Order: sequence, then C-alpha cells, then structure tokens
Amino acid sequence: MLKKTTIDKLPELAAALMEKGTLVAPVKEDAGFNFREITDAKQVDLIFHNTIISPKSAFFPQVEDFVRYQTGKSILEAAPVELNLKPTFLFGVRPCDVKSFQIMDIHFSGTGVVDPYWQKRREATTIFGFAFDMNEAADAAEFYHTLGIGAADPEGSDIFMVRKDDILMLKVITPKGEKLMTGLSFLTDASADEIKYFDDYITKGYDYKTCYTCVDTEAIAREFEAIFDNADFWTKISDACLSCGVCTFVCPTCYCFDICDETLFSQGTRRRVWDACMFTDFTLEASGHNPRTKVYQRLRQKVCHKYSYHIRKYGVISCVGCGRCTRYCPVNIDIFSIVEEAVKAKWYKRL
Amino acid sequence: MTENNPYIPMPVEISKVIDEVDSHDIKTFRFTFLNKEDEENFKYLPGQFAELSIYGKGESPIGIASSPTQAGYVEFTVQRAGTIVPGLVTAALHDMDEGGKIGLRGPLGHSWPIEFLEKKDIVVVGGGFAFTTLRSLINFMLHEDNRSRFGEITVIYGARTPGLLLYKDELAQWEKRDDIKTVITVDKGDDTWTGRQGFVPAVCREVAPSPKNTVAVICGPPIMIKFTLPVFFELGFSKENILTSLEMRMKCGIGKCGRCNVGYKYVCSDGPVFSLAQLEELPRDF
Repeated sequence: MLKKTTIDKLPELAAALMEKGTLVAPVKEDAGFNFREITDAKQVDLIFHNTIISPKSAFFPQVEDFVRYQTGKSILEAAPVELNLKPTFLFGVRPCDVKSFQIMDIHFSGTGVVDPYWQKRREATTIFGFAFDMNEAADAAEFYHTLGIGAADPEGSDIFMVRKDDILMLKVITPKGEKLMTGLSFLTDASADEIKYFDDYITKGYDYKTCYTCVDTEAIAREFEAIFDNADFWTKISDACLSCGVCTFVCPTCYCFDICDETLFSQGTRRRVWDACMFTDFTLEASGHNPRTKVYQRLRQKVCHKYSYHIRKYGVISCVGCGRCTRYCPVNIDIFSIVEEAVKAKWYKRL
Repeated sequence: MTENNPYIPMPVEISKVIDEVDSHDIKTFRFTFLNKEDEENFKYLPGQFAELSIYGKGESPIGIASSPTQAGYVEFTVQRAGTIVPGLVTAALHDMDEGGKIGLRGPLGHSWPIEFLEKKDIVVVGGGFAFTTLRSLINFMLHEDNRSRFGEITVIYGARTPGLLLYKDELAQWEKRDDIKTVITVDKGDDTWTGRQGFVPAVCREVAPSPKNTVAVICGPPIMIKFTLPVFFELGFSKENILTSLEMRMKCGIGKCGRCNVGYKYVCSDGPVFSLAQLEELPRDF
C-alpha cells in the first residue's frame, strides 16, 4: 500500500499523529536539526540531512528514572517510576539510524536479560523511516553504504517515506505500520508512476555511494584483535583525542550507561544516565585499580568495541556509518580512517 | 515497572553482622529477605554475585559468600572501600547494624562450573580478602548432600597476618574434618600463631597437588595470582583446569551497561568465572 500527501500538508499529517499519541520528529534548532517531541504540528521539518543527536533517545533517553526514594526512609517506601507511554510515532528517521535500532535490539532485548525500558519504548513506537535525498551528495563523514545499508533502505521501518519534490510517499512495511496507516484517511493513493518511482528509488539507494565500499566485518574484527597490543598505533591515532565522549553521545549504537542516585535535599531518584567509555573513571574500581587510565586505551576500547568485540559477541558491527562521531568530533578524528589504518587497505577499496 | 524489572532491588534485612578481621574493615553481612517470594526466586550457586543497593548511595557488586545449602539467608563479606576511591555503599553498609534494610539485585553472573567440577579432585587456592566465593564453594561441596559428588578437596588459604584471615571459626572446623585437607598459611605470624608461615605460591609448591583429574580454583590479589599460576603449570595443570574469577567496575550486573567488558566478554554476564584458557583468548585489558 503506497499512499501520498504533499509537503505543504505535513502539518496535517503531524496533527493527525499527535491526536493518536506522541509525535517525535526532526525540528530545526539553532545548531541544526534534532528529534523532539512535537508540540506544534508546524514544527515538523523534513528538509534536513540528518539530526545532530541520533534518534536512539526515543528508546534509550539520556535520563531514565528507575525509582524515587527519600533519604532516611526505608527501602520499602521507595517507589519504582512507572512508564506510562502513549503510542509514539518516531517520524523521519534515516535508514542508517533505523538500522541502529535493530542492532540495539539484539543487545537490549534480543539476548540475555531483557531491558524492560528499551522494550516497552520500542513496543509503543511506530517508526517512519525516511530515505536520504539522493539528489544531494552523501555527507563526507558518512559510510553507511560500506556497511550494507541503502540510502533508501526500508528495513526496520514500520512505514517508509520517500520525498519526490513536493510529494511525500508513504509505504506500509509492517502490520504495525498498516494498522496506523489505515487510520490516516486523508492520505491519498499513489499513482502507478509514483509506485514505480518509489520502488526504483529504494533499489537505487543500494547503489548510492558514501565514502567507502567493500568491507568484510569478520576480517575487520580479526584485524583489531591482532592490533590490540600495538600501543604505538593506538597512541598515534589518539594523539589529538580530548576523551570528551561526544562521539559516544551522538552515536546511535553507543549504549553505555551509569546507574546513579541523585538526591536533592531528602528527595532522590535512582536513574540511568548515558555514560561513555571515553571517561577516565568509567572503569575506576573501588580498589583504585583502573585498566584504562590512558586516552589511547579508551579510544581503543571504543573503536574495538564497535568494530571487533560487538561482532564477536553479537555477530554484527556496532556502527551504521551515520558519520556523527566524525562530524562532531572537536579534533576531527575520523573513525573510519582508524578502521582504514587498521586494516591497511586490505579489505576494502576507496572509491 | 516492578515486575521482572532487573534494575529494581528487592528488600532485605541485616540479620547478623560478623566483624571478620582485626583491622575491622571487613565484615560479613547476613541478609534475610523481607518478601518470601524473593527468597524463593533467589536461586544461586557458588561463584555468583549480587548488587548490594542502598538508595542515596548507589550499588556495589559483591560475591556471594554463603552457600545455597544455607537456607533462609544470604551472606556477603564486604570490605569498606575508601583508601583511594570513596566507597559510599560499603561505608554506609559498614555503619549499619542488625535490622538495617537495604536492597539486593541478583543473583548475577555465572557460578563456578559445578557440573564440570563433579567427580574431580578440587584444589581451592585463596589469598586475603578474595576468599568469599571460594568459601561459598567449599561449604557447598562439604554439605552432606553434595560431598559425594566431588573427589578430594584441598584448600590452601593465606592471608598477610593471622588477624586478616576470614571465617576463622569455619577454618577451624574444616581443619578438624577428614574429608577436606585444609592448609592455612600467613605471610607473617604473630606471638600466638602456631600455624604455617609462608606465601601462598610457596605453600602450593610444597603441598604439590596432583593435576590428575583435578581442577584448581584460584582467587587472590594479582600478585598472588601472578606467582601461583606458574606453580600450577609446573605441577602439570592445564589452562582448562585452572579457574578464577575476574573483577571489573560494574553497574547493571546484567550485561547491558557496557562497563565491565574485557574484549568481547562482559565480566558480569559472561563471567565473572573464567578458566585460564578462556582468559587467554581475551585482550589484556583488565
């Protein structure tokens, strides 16, 4: 089922979704675009390349409150914070970011203990994927094509959207998407030409080139294992690193968190907050021992986690090539150039 | 969000506090569950750990020191942290008395591989404070329901001074039994000490357990491990038959928060128990 509307009717679509629940969509802000909960249907803006912060916040917010407690009172009086989630619509997510949700699913709900917060937020949410505009060149930092993700890859979306000039086409991908779409009666049916355009666009997306191509993930994992003890290599690539952690905060697949108690006067909240392996005390033990006191050890952890450990553990690379870490690094460290260095151009060729 | 939520601790009450050492910074806390069903659900084996949780202070991952054969309660031996890093949870716990209530999340991690240990001779080697989950294992194996499942049991346990030995009453009991060989040593004795003196590695060499159908379970400070392992290699133990337990900073304890990895393994959910053979496959990042 391919439906359509026009870009000028976007507020109408936004308003319809807001009526059904919570709408989270790209909004233009001073520094650039970000996903925000929409309060005014006119805020939604689809003329963007990608957001600064990844949409992982929709399922893994920077702060997730677990329990409220009062100091000096018994644990029996502490109260878990309920998650009262309305149906949520995550609107305008680029294909590489949609892929990140699937990678995170494996970690949070697909293996071992299920993380109830991630799972409940995922269940409550319908994802509107949105193809990149292939009339523009890919951003220099992006390499999702390297990782097998098409610029118009509908996989993982519940509804997938392609924009053609002033027309926005929406296609149902999953039963969840279908259930929602049938309720959006003001959308009209797309023409046969538009259906062809949509299908061609998706196919074309797999050939839309970003920075690099041809990567063998298993081989990369092995290369990083082999290079782990090469302190010279890691020192060299991390010489400018501020260990600031911005790469982890903007990353759609970074999931490290801290669990901390925040008490103000006697009122407290146990919550999880984003954390980063780039920080010195991330691994500081009570004994004073810390396995990663040097910047190079922490950058090594970050890079090896994404391109080696995660493959060993879950079979997938923990990266979708969105390019945010490279784009927002204050000292211009290019994560994929580290991979490039590490594998010494053996396993891919630069376009 | 209470049901099946691995982040919400269950309430427990301190029913006993034992001051273990003469420096008074290591105590054993016995907890009883405030909800009967929590007690029933808390099924553990020696080697597992739990998060001790005090709202307003935080959580600490601590190995379980009691054995599941001790019904009705669970024990943790906790050192007051704070010489280098201020230990909020351990300090708060040390300041609590019987009747105090805290939270508990667990059991977490993998146990000592009981099935793998069955029908084998077991050599338990412990040093200093790192004896807690070994004590759990020993008491488990010594229990009348379990003793016949294991071959000969040898325990080699050392501390710096006699006053720093943990579980002194139990050590004395084990020494009296004939179904366990107990070798206690201290680095340096005092006026009252009539037992053995000497470092753990040297004592291991002296005791010289046979590697035949035997598994060594070794926990201790890094320096002890460093000098003990070569002794066991010399004796002919394979890396598959030497087990240890790792520590890393942890938060969630369930393999989600990304903190305690060594290579692709999370110490909390993939460990903390590893064989030496398994550790050799991991990068030296701990």
